[in-house]
Amino acid sequence: MIVKDAVCPFCGCLCDDIEVEVEDDRVVAVTNACELGTTKFMGEKRLKNPILRYGDEWKDITYDTAIRYAADMLLSAERPLLYGWSGTHGEAQCVGVHMAELVRGVIDNTSSVCHGPSILAIQEVGHPGCTLGVVKNRADLVIYWGSNPIDAHPRHLSRYTRYAEGFFLENAFRDRKVIVVDVRKTETANIADEFVRIKPGGDYAVLSALRAIVQGKTDTIPRTVAGVTREQLVRVANLCKSAKFGAVYFGLGLTMTPGKYKNIRNAIELVSELSRHTKFTISAMRGHYNVYGSNEVNTWMTGYPFGIDFSRGIAFYNPGETTAVDILARKECDAALIVGSDPAAHFPRKCLEHLADIPVVQLDPYPNATTAFCNVQIPVAVTGIDAEGTAYRMDGVPIRTRRVLSTDYLSDREVLSRMYALMQEAQER
Amino acid sequence: MKVTLAMKPAAKSFISIEAESIVPKNFLDGTDLSVWRGNRELRLDEVFSVLVEGDADRSEDVEVVLSGETFRLKRVGEYMDGGRITILGNIGMHCGNFMSGGIIEVRGNADGWLGREMAGGAIVCRGDAADYCAAGYRGGRKGMTGGTVEVFGSTGDFLAESIAGGTVTVHGNSGDMAGAEMRGGTLVVHGDCRRPGANMKEGSCYVYGTVQGMLPTFRKIGTVQHGGRTLIRFAGDLANRGKGNLFVKDYEYLD
Repeated sequence: MIVKDAVCPFCGCLCDDIEVEVEDDRVVAVTNACELGTTKFMGEKRLKNPILRYGDEWKDITYDTAIRYAADMLLSAERPLLYGWSGTHGEAQCVGVHMAELVRGVIDNTSSVCHGPSILAIQEVGHPGCTLGVVKNRADLVIYWGSNPIDAHPRHLSRYTRYAEGFFLENAFRDRKVIVVDVRKTETANIADEFVRIKPGGDYAVLSALRAIVQGKTDTIPRTVAGVTREQLVRVANLCKSAKFGAVYFGLGLTMTPGKYKNIRNAIELVSELSRHTKFTISAMRGHYNVYGSNEVNTWMTGYPFGIDFSRGIAFYNPGETTAVDILARKECDAALIVGSDPAAHFPRKCLEHLADIPVVQLDPYPNATTAFCNVQIPVAVTGIDAEGTAYRMDGVPIRTRRVLSTDYLSDREVLSRMYALMQEAQER
Repeated sequence: MKVTLAMKPAAKSFISIEAESIVPKNFLDGTDLSVWRGNRELRLDEVFSVLVEGDADRSEDVEVVLSGETFRLKRVGEYMDGGRITILGNIGMHCGNFMSGGIIEVRGNADGWLGREMAGGAIVCRGDAADYCAAGYRGGRKGMTGGTVEVFGSTGDFLAESIAGGTVTVHGNSGDMAGAEMRGGTLVVHGDCRRPGANMKEGSCYVYGTVQGMLPTFRKIGTVQHGGRTLIRFAGDLANRGKGNLFVKDYEYLD
């Protein structure tokens, strides 16, 4: 059987033109997806049933036992941490927020270690953004700043920028200019019309310099700024000003380098400045396929996009204090529920030391690095493969992922709803 | 009146204790107060050995002394409007949030957001202060609007972010982006710091040491004499409105 127009649950591009060939409830071929997406669709070696750590061994347990274990763990904790959420669908995220409020815990998603700074900057100065379709059809200048789509979002270039057709561009490939700004010559830099190489940690200075140049204050700018010559800065500023429609896409090279959210704020303010001359937009290259969705769900339910602390009964938000890395490093939680992410593969050692000391339950289809820190792992269906649900693309467009095959696995939403029902019962008693 | 709060040793947990009830004014009505450890509400005497000496009619006459492992205590002195709090050791995050009067003295180090969005009064920290000392809140336009903060050690990053009034003095070094988004007030760093005054609109920032990674968008105006020192004067941040004053002893660009 061939499933057409499947949605790829890998990166924030959420490509919705995938063809998946299924035989005997297994994916045997994938067309249109990039290598990353294909690998995800073809993924195997899932956990068969929930497992419980028993001394030095793993014991197979039932879903009921595993769900009861997680509910009891969260209910008895003084400050439980509910982390992850980017690798699951919006319906499950909703249950997660309800659960965090009920047990008065902290709910945080992976944006606290990726584009959290982008959101902090947006909270300061707003977000002049647009959907990917607008960029595809109109943009004649695209800037990739601190992001490397060839490796991380492979089809971003072919679907929306460098290699895409544009409705309002006569010859998109020729008319569309691409500028890449990075600290090293990446694969994406090789296909750029202009490559700006910045010394590590120099993004803020270069953005400030560009803002001043766009305002016509070129004379005060030193001859070089963080390794970039003034001539190149002036050339880039002119390319931007003479574009009909410009779009900036930035990645973790900007959010996770010194200055963090101030880098993004500076980039947004550069875009605002350029919009006095022409049309310019800026957007984040979101990583997980539904990390944007977890920000959306959290925001509409609690008022804040990530790092929400319910311990006092109301939502309190302060990244740097109520975010997973900070809480774990300071040993400020006493239990953790991990859903749809792998913190053990990404967090600093100090955080993992605390994760090893507290009870941890993980919902994940596959054994991963976090499995080593778990007391219980509950395998679930994969959204977009054997579960369906809503995900948000990197530009904020909600897309319903489809189920391409059926298995007996419960979805994240089903497992979490049962957990939540147990908690409500216990609360009423 | 003197209230001595000696923290009882914590049995197991590193979970911080939110103690916004510890402000001099509240002790005028006794010590029947509560604090929070995670999602659990605790009586003040479950966490501290409480000793009250003398009495008082107004918060100006109340002194609160905190001792023990107070580095896990958050929000002490929040909305304080008079009196005195002395912390003999280290203090946790958000000490002196929104304070409008009185004095807080920290003999040890202070954690993040010391004196966040402070409007008046004075904070003295004898040790180091962590990130966001005298800063604003996430997404807020104005940080500190009045009062004084003096740190005798060093501070972390984003010192006095969005400061709009008042004076902040740091006798040691400061981290990255001191006085970012500054729109008023005075910031003095006796040691070195990185990228001060980023995107500043107004106000004055003095660095008596060396500025690393000096931003390219400050215009050099000349030298001035200041308290027996010769400082180089800059106007900026030109990326923004450019009406701020930055005075530095020495500087280097990331060129």
